[in-house]
Amino acid sequence: MHAEPAQTSDIDLLHAIARSEEGALTALYDRYRLILFGLLVRILNSREEAEDVLQEVFLQVWRRAADFDQERGRPFTWLVTLTRSRGIDRLRVLAARQRLTDSAALEVRAEASDAVADTLHAEQREIIARALASLPAEQRGALRLAYFEGLTQSEIAVRLGSPLGTVKTRMRAGMSTLRELLADQPQNFFGSGPG
Amino acid sequence: MAGHEDYKEMLAAHGLGALDVEEARTLELHLRDCADCGQELDEWKATAAMLALEAAPAAPSEQLKDRIIDVVRNDVAESKSSGSTVEPSAASRRERTNVVSLPTHRKVSSGIPSWFAIAAGLVFVVLLGSLYVLWRQNKAARQDLARLAAQVQETQQQVARQREVIELVNAPGARVSQLAGTKEVPGAHGMVAYDTSGRAILMAKGLPAPPAGKAYQLWFIAGGKPLPGKVFTTDASGAGTLTDSMPSAAMNSPIFAITLEPAGGVPAPTGAIYLSSGA
Repeated sequence: MHAEPAQTSDIDLLHAIARSEEGALTALYDRYRLILFGLLVRILNSREEAEDVLQEVFLQVWRRAADFDQERGRPFTWLVTLTRSRGIDRLRVLAARQRLTDSAALEVRAEASDAVADTLHAEQREIIARALASLPAEQRGALRLAYFEGLTQSEIAVRLGSPLGTVKTRMRAGMSTLRELLADQPQNFFGSGPG
Repeated sequence: MAGHEDYKEMLAAHGLGALDVEEARTLELHLRDCADCGQELDEWKATAAMLALEAAPAAPSEQLKDRIIDVVRNDVAESKSSGSTVEPSAASRRERTNVVSLPTHRKVSSGIPSWFAIAAGLVFVVLLGSLYVLWRQNKAARQDLARLAAQVQETQQQVARQREVIELVNAPGARVSQLAGTKEVPGAHGMVAYDTSGRAILMAKGLPAPPAGKAYQLWFIAGGKPLPGKVFTTDASGAGTLTDSMPSAAMNSPIFAITLEPAGGVPAPTGAIYLSSGA
């Protein structure tokens, strides 16, 4: 367990980063590296690419910490959204590059993540896992394709062979259920820290 | 065009980054004016972000933290030297809502501005080069123009002089005397046209350029006595012209001579005779 991250809120860390305090950046990195790297490995199927993108992400955090507006959301959301966005960008570049090689990505997937214990966020993982498990499989599938593979609704419709309208309905329903389930959690569900 | 409720329907998918490009674009336009939808979108984004926790946590290599610190320090050095601190505020304007742009809009990476700067620099250098070439051409053209203008002026003067001669020769009682080169300049020749009023025009050719401080002087010889005329010099082709008034004493059967004298002219000839109409 890390003692320090519990003492400084994410918001304070971002403010310190905005003041170019290097220590705050490494503290934020220590706090979220497992989640963000895990997310990138899931998206990219490659530790090497994931490290490269994570480096870009933290450079971006360094440059743009001042842009974070706490009125509009939590640091966790900001950080994860940035990371996912960069990951999907990279995935598209790689997909364009590797389209011809048709590599057996699915075989790699199982061993690529190299999962570790994230004791800091274990409880939250459990909550999201339960929430997702409560969704109908087709809704869960649509959300995963969008989030981890960066597919648009039209692309998902093609992938699943479903009408576009059906995909839209499933996606909206799945998101609504998730939102309700997570809304039951405390306000400080993620990372806002004290205050 | 879609209405507010239609846009609200799109918000959940947009929070997930799953709208098709065109839909995302129209929704973003709506979001500029609709705070209500903006707030709801933030909530959907928070929900979508929770999906990240479904991915199994994984540890990056130990070296990554050091690499990030290195990159960040280099970035500090770069922005200090290039003054690129503008970026955060520009980004700030665009993404005040904590919205991280959708992947489809994110193709513009941080590498682009530097390429743009290099391209802009190259264009600037090429423009400078073109400007210099144009300036040189313009300068050369101006010089050509000045030279041509001088030639035209000279030609006009010659034409005017010849017209004068023709007019003079055509006048009643006008006469023309031929001048031949002496042993000094056997190839030289000339003529003097004069009318009854005493107006005389000399046109000489084949004369060498007079040395510094010297000029050719016209003499009217009457009764064996040389009466001084004006002085003149020659152009590059060895031609010289002169308009003068004949002394009344020389009006009857004059003889003309050209000598080389001091540039200001002299009252009585001192130098060698170059052209003469007399025997």
